[in-house]
Amino acid sequence: MTALAFQTAMARLIVEPDFRDAVRGEGAGALPGPLTALEASRLVTIAHDRGLDMNRTLHKGFRLGKLRALLPLTCALLTPARLAREVAAFWQANPPASFSFLPEALAFCAFLERRPFRSAYLAEVLAYERATLELERARVGPAPAQSVRFGHDPVQLLGTLAAGRRPRSVSPRPCLLLGSKDGDAPLRWTLVDAVPPPSRYDRRHAADNDSGTKGIPT
Amino acid sequence: MRLPTLTLPKLGVGLAYQAPLAPLLAAAGAELDYVEIVPDILWTDLGRTAEPRYIDDRAGRAALEQASRGRPLVAHGIGLSIGSAGVFDAAHVEQVERWRRRLGFPWHSDHLAFHLAGHGDALMNVGITLPLPRDRETIDLLVPRIREVRQRVPVPFLLENNVYYFDIPACEMDEPTFLNRLCRESGCGLVLDLHNVHTNARNHGFDAAAMLAELELEHVGEIHVAGGMELDGFYLDAHSDTIPDPVWSLLEWTLPRCPNLGGVTFELFGSWFDSVGNARITADLRRLRALWTAASHPASRRVVAEPA
Repeated sequence: MTALAFQTAMARLIVEPDFRDAVRGEGAGALPGPLTALEASRLVTIAHDRGLDMNRTLHKGFRLGKLRALLPLTCALLTPARLAREVAAFWQANPPASFSFLPEALAFCAFLERRPFRSAYLAEVLAYERATLELERARVGPAPAQSVRFGHDPVQLLGTLAAGRRPRSVSPRPCLLLGSKDGDAPLRWTLVDAVPPPSRYDRRHAADNDSGTKGIPT
Repeated sequence: MRLPTLTLPKLGVGLAYQAPLAPLLAAAGAELDYVEIVPDILWTDLGRTAEPRYIDDRAGRAALEQASRGRPLVAHGIGLSIGSAGVFDAAHVEQVERWRRRLGFPWHSDHLAFHLAGHGDALMNVGITLPLPRDRETIDLLVPRIREVRQRVPVPFLLENNVYYFDIPACEMDEPTFLNRLCRESGCGLVLDLHNVHTNARNHGFDAAAMLAELELEHVGEIHVAGGMELDGFYLDAHSDTIPDPVWSLLEWTLPRCPNLGGVTFELFGSWFDSVGNARITADLRRLRALWTAASHPASRRVVAEPA
């Protein structure tokens, strides 16, 4: 039992800076039991070790890397300062649970969906990336189709982000992106306009310009 | 005490697989004998309560098999957390075994550390390998687990000496004593990561060569080598560069003294591939191959008297 408590406390020293600071300030009194005197003494020494801070740096880098890998467009759309604030708040509320990237990224999506944002595009980009992950999660069987509602042109919006640029003045385009996945085949997205273009000429002209779903990152 | 016999095929020089290194694998010739993979990248673990728990990545497997070009595959896991006091994940071991049957690993390994710890009713995954106390109690925890892994996955099982940025004070044993006893009592072998030894020696101020001289090298089934970088006053096991000179010196001394060695693996994170460059990496692989060949032919080998 004491080894279990010892390892939990060691992990918390890395993950929870408030806990680390309490142990630095108060010593063994800040440590929850059951611990032997030797284990408590070891933890207090570790709390003051500079190597602990290096471990925290590595831990944060690993955890942030998972989000950037699976939610690249969402992370790109958030400014670096906002991304840092959001992941800090997410980590405060969600201790790290999995080595795998997918559960962590889905949990971050659910977290962001409850947060207030002024960005006109974030909700759409987040919904698109979450739908992509849901399709990936269902890889063991038929994936339930995903539907993402856009108010802005998804080809322009997602393509700009995927090219490493910040989107500005994306054209309004009420539409749905319908995502599906069949076994190991690549994800398939179909764009369905909510309101048909008004004339044959305009429809042909629009097709010449954006050629359907071309440019949507998969 | 009679030592457990470690029997591994003599593969030669390997590269730790990362998808961005595929061009390197494609271009490599005779200097590269096998490919080491982190088996955990071949699936997504949705958690212990999920059904099914694991999603196999068939596309990733196809990419790996194409990149490896028929070379043998060796598994080096990251997900076991064999030192966790409160949990031993037999389902994870079974998942490794499923993939061993598919890909035919001649041996497999993981890290001598823990990353899973209790957190209320759940588990917390720190995502980095944390050190274990080098105490009798730790060996008593590990030995039955190692035996279970060996029973469930019927190929040699190796554990890697850990890199640690803080050490646990007042341990009962030094590192070589701990590793020697663990291998003797459990029958596991060692992935001797010489870059970890070098990193720990630099950060904690001990003599890497003296540490190696105390190790029973017949337990070593595989050697890892890599390069690192400085950050905030620490030298990091960052897998970010070619092999530094001190690690070459350790390797030149160690390699001919490991009678049961199956291979020497070079590790580089894929994100560093472009900045390090194909030419420098290939030069290191060729130098590793030359050392391996020399050590495999004792009549012609040059045995370094003392580690530098």
